[in-house]
Amino acid sequence: MKILSFLKPYRLAMIVALLLMFVELAVELSQPLIISRIIDDGILQNDLSSVLWWGGILLAFSLLAFVSGIINSFYASHVSQSFSFDLRERLYEKIQSFSFTNFIRFPTSSLITRLTNDVVQLQNTVFMFLRIALRAPLMVIGGMIAALFVNLKLALIIVVTVPVIILFLSWIMKKVAVLFRQVQERLDGVNSVMQENLMGMRLIKAFLRRSHEVKRFTQASRQLMERTQTALRVTEITMPGILLVMNISIMAILWFGSIELSTNQATEGEIVALINYATRMMHALSVISMVIMNLSRARASAQRAREVLNTEIDLTDRDDSDEKLRITEGHLRFDGVSFRYPGKKAPVLSDVSFEAKPGETIAIMGATGSGKSSLFQLIPRLYDTDEGIIAIDGIDIRKLKLEHLRKQIGYVPQEALLFTGTVKENIAWGKEDATMEDIIEAAKDAQIHETILKLPKQYDTVLGQRGVNLSGGQKQRLSIARALVRKPKILLLDDSTSALDVKTEADLLQALKKYSCTTLMITQKVSSTRSADLILLLEDGKVSALGRHEQLLEQSALYRDICESQNWEEAEKHVERIR
Amino acid sequence: MWKEFAEPFQYPRFKLNEIKVDEKLVKDMPAIQSRHAPKKKEKPKNFAGTIKRIWSYLAESKWKLSLVLIMVVISSAMALLGPFLVGRAIDWYIIARDNSGLLYFLIGLAAVYVLHSVSVLLQNFWMIGIAQKTVYGMRVQLFRHLHRLPIPYFDKRQHGEIMSRVTNDIENVSNTLNSSVIQIFTSLLTLIGTVSVMVWLSPLLTLITFLVVPLMIYGLRWITRRTGVLFKAVQANLGDLNGYIEETMSGQRIVKTFSQEKRVIAEFREKNLNLKQASFWAQTFSGFIPKLMNGLNNLNFAIVAGIGGLLALHDMISIGVIVIFAEYTRQFTRPLSDLANQFNTLLSAIAGAERVFQVLDEEEERKDEKHAGELEQVKGEVKFSNVTFSYEKEADTITNVSFHAKPGEMIAFVGPTGAGKTTLINLLSRFYDADEGTIYIDGHDISQIKRESLRSHMAFVLQDTFLFRGTVRENIRYGRLDATDEEVEQAAMMANAHSFIMKLPEQYDTVLDHNGGGISQGQRQLLSIARAILADPSILILDEATSSIDTVTELKIQEALQRLMKGRTSFVIAHRLNTIRNADKIVVLKDGKIIEQGSHNELLEQKGFYSELYENQIKAGNF
Repeated sequence: MKILSFLKPYRLAMIVALLLMFVELAVELSQPLIISRIIDDGILQNDLSSVLWWGGILLAFSLLAFVSGIINSFYASHVSQSFSFDLRERLYEKIQSFSFTNFIRFPTSSLITRLTNDVVQLQNTVFMFLRIALRAPLMVIGGMIAALFVNLKLALIIVVTVPVIILFLSWIMKKVAVLFRQVQERLDGVNSVMQENLMGMRLIKAFLRRSHEVKRFTQASRQLMERTQTALRVTEITMPGILLVMNISIMAILWFGSIELSTNQATEGEIVALINYATRMMHALSVISMVIMNLSRARASAQRAREVLNTEIDLTDRDDSDEKLRITEGHLRFDGVSFRYPGKKAPVLSDVSFEAKPGETIAIMGATGSGKSSLFQLIPRLYDTDEGIIAIDGIDIRKLKLEHLRKQIGYVPQEALLFTGTVKENIAWGKEDATMEDIIEAAKDAQIHETILKLPKQYDTVLGQRGVNLSGGQKQRLSIARALVRKPKILLLDDSTSALDVKTEADLLQALKKYSCTTLMITQKVSSTRSADLILLLEDGKVSALGRHEQLLEQSALYRDICESQNWEEAEKHVERIR
Repeated sequence: MWKEFAEPFQYPRFKLNEIKVDEKLVKDMPAIQSRHAPKKKEKPKNFAGTIKRIWSYLAESKWKLSLVLIMVVISSAMALLGPFLVGRAIDWYIIARDNSGLLYFLIGLAAVYVLHSVSVLLQNFWMIGIAQKTVYGMRVQLFRHLHRLPIPYFDKRQHGEIMSRVTNDIENVSNTLNSSVIQIFTSLLTLIGTVSVMVWLSPLLTLITFLVVPLMIYGLRWITRRTGVLFKAVQANLGDLNGYIEETMSGQRIVKTFSQEKRVIAEFREKNLNLKQASFWAQTFSGFIPKLMNGLNNLNFAIVAGIGGLLALHDMISIGVIVIFAEYTRQFTRPLSDLANQFNTLLSAIAGAERVFQVLDEEEERKDEKHAGELEQVKGEVKFSNVTFSYEKEADTITNVSFHAKPGEMIAFVGPTGAGKTTLINLLSRFYDADEGTIYIDGHDISQIKRESLRSHMAFVLQDTFLFRGTVRENIRYGRLDATDEEVEQAAMMANAHSFIMKLPEQYDTVLDHNGGGISQGQRQLLSIARAILADPSILILDEATSSIDTVTELKIQEALQRLMKGRTSFVIAHRLNTIRNADKIVVLKDGKIIEQGSHNELLEQKGFYSELYENQIKAGNF
């Protein structure tokens, strides 16, 4: 997708802005002509009225230019702001459609710079372009043509010099573009260290790692500084370069002019005029170099924005997905599912099969890294399976519309992520049309209602970015309430009760029973697995045992170990019984 | 089609003193709030103050800066001299047809030109060096300062907002320093040079030319009064947007599974729109500046031509002077409009710098008390004496808590969620300071101990695990930077992290980031335990450290932790009571108060809250 296409809707406003700029330019070009009128027709002819007439015209013209300039500001600003607004929105929309595999390519800090710094850079460029950028090239072209009319032979000096300068400029521009890209990369580096530090501040303070972090940051900043210096310095060569070349050409005009003069092939006036043009063009060219510098920065920014826009989304509704297919029961079936993360060799899940009937509770247990969370991510299609089929109500989930599929799922992640806003907003986050009754009901079932009532403003209490003023357990329960308010058909609890005390957890599980949903819960607690309709024990991504509590106690040594660690007395009894 | 033409004039109007700035953002940026209050006199003070502070950074390179200034003087002089000499060359040699004389003159002229280019090149080279060094210094200073801010500062703010200061605002300052300083001096010198020549040629016409200056000053003030406020609003909106992007990016998993993409897009759109509207006015108004300068320039030109013509009619000046003046009024306003242009950049840079300085002025973590001492060796005796604390003013989080831990003891905090267990840890490590009461370590009041010294005797395994971008090895080594590879691996083995690390694609050299980089929550927790083991502290703090580790692994970790806790005072928060059964003392908290304390058996005998809790767990786990 071309970045420039974002300007299309504002073509008319752009044309207006450019026309107004031409008016200003025309007024400026007319001035020397008018002043020559004042001198020739007025002063030299001793004609007072003529002086006043032309002076009045000058005044009227300046007013015209001023008004055009002011209106131009409105149009140019409107175009550039609308452009950046649209671009930013499009970028954000695109990012929202990213799959998790896409996110691997772009770290958050880099996405933020792309959405802010890069867009602002582009916006400024558009603004500048509509106000001054075209003026300089027009001045150069006009100057060259006029010079040729004045004296063909001498003007050749200018006609040869200008392309040389333009070549030089574009060469530098290419170099600068590369350099500024590197600057941006270093800037991303600085930002990512900064972001990490902001997120991990508590830990850094706890481990007294300030100096270590400062060292890291200093290093990243130093690299940024060095790159920036190089990039800017290369850019700065242009200005003195243009000066030197144009000045040399002025000297050449003087020298060859005086030779031509002696053979009467040029006049004094022509020499003066040519020098005048050369000087004006020199100014215009130095503006061009500024424009080019800005353009090359903008090009780097455009490139980075384009990278986002052109990213191929690898997980969307499939062509054979059918809008009419509906989840009604929440009957979930895994059939020989294997999965590995993109770019990784080892599979996290291999050949997993099980079935969860509507309304059942499935407990998933396993050691750290055995693939529990990965299994969860496959259900709302954050990733697609490599092999095997996941079906809900007998429909392959890849045939369902993504939005419909996800709407039926209540997901409570391991790390309770809350958003800035009130408690109420956070609970209703998953369902915008939730009534206050719905919210309170969900909060009660999630065992958080009482706690909320104790908050300073109850349901209207504002939570920090990551719900800082709540404890881990409270955050977890709030994020459970957020899932419950949607009345999901399938509820995924990713170790979401880990920070809850046993009593609260038991109350919660009791309350969940009234929801007609299939519940999958990752858990470490035998207290939760005991009452489950099915326990899925994972080991290294494979199903190690599958069955009810009593069955597993008989069949699985691993499960017995777990029980043992949590309830020594009963485990002892059990061991005795087995003996 | 007419609609399109009208669009630029349909942005919501604003009144200068009613610019809508988000309440939350106002809270974070007191400067804006004061802007709106009718205290206009403060503005220039603020402005000057900020400039002065920026100067204090630049002053470090005073020496080099004066070299730059010398170059600026040379280049400005050469810029004036060049055209002047060309004029002379025409008068003296071209019209006089003196070719050999011209040759020598041209050699001199060439020297001027070369000097001009060289001085321009040098001034830029040096200035870029100075500017970037300054910005680098600011950045690092800001970063250092952030690390000295108390934890509440970060709890209250979105990361994105702070990020925006470190990136956008500093970037703004950087851009300005790179070019504006030189431009400003060049413009000033050119201005002085031109004006001098003008006065020399015709004082009367110069005076007339100067008539536009009051008009210009009035116009500029009218504009900048608006742009100053508007640019701040833009920065505030940008910060808000940044915060929102960051929040929705880190919560992407939730956004996706709840299929709320449309909703976040709509909310983003709203913030984006706010930014657009503020930016539109800021940009439009600042765009007036060059137009105003240009207009005045043209006006001047008309006046000089008209009045100059009248004067010439009365033979008071020559035609040549008019021509020169016509050129020089441009010469005189060009640097002025350059100055005005630079003023734009300068304004937004100063607004940015102000925001950076605001962070720098943010009160640091309360300075260690003057007599604050170092803790050389810690036995690990910890005493809480009537400690009361609240996060918010309204309600106490912790009320009147007292307990005592002997060296080497294991103390467990038990209680319902939200009872204040984590708060006790926050107070012990002085992330927050107690409102009332005292905490002692080895009999020393910890408020009299340097925070760094205090924390150097502690190691933490927190509920929220956090990994840095870096290899597994680096992340473990975070516990003790001078640890050898063997020590790192040993610590990993003790924490039972070794086996899973060996299964990672690059083992200890696998790169992780703060999102985990493909390892599970439990594995992250194992790494942070390894980290704590490596730190080898006198006081160990485990806040729900094992809550997301599977029970089989936890058993093994408990072994390791037992070894580790020997000889160290340790504070453990855990929900599974069987993991703390052998604690020396269990402190039971409810609603911020201690309701029971004692050993496991003692508490069971009391048949109080703890025993009920324990029964419940047994019941829940019993079959």
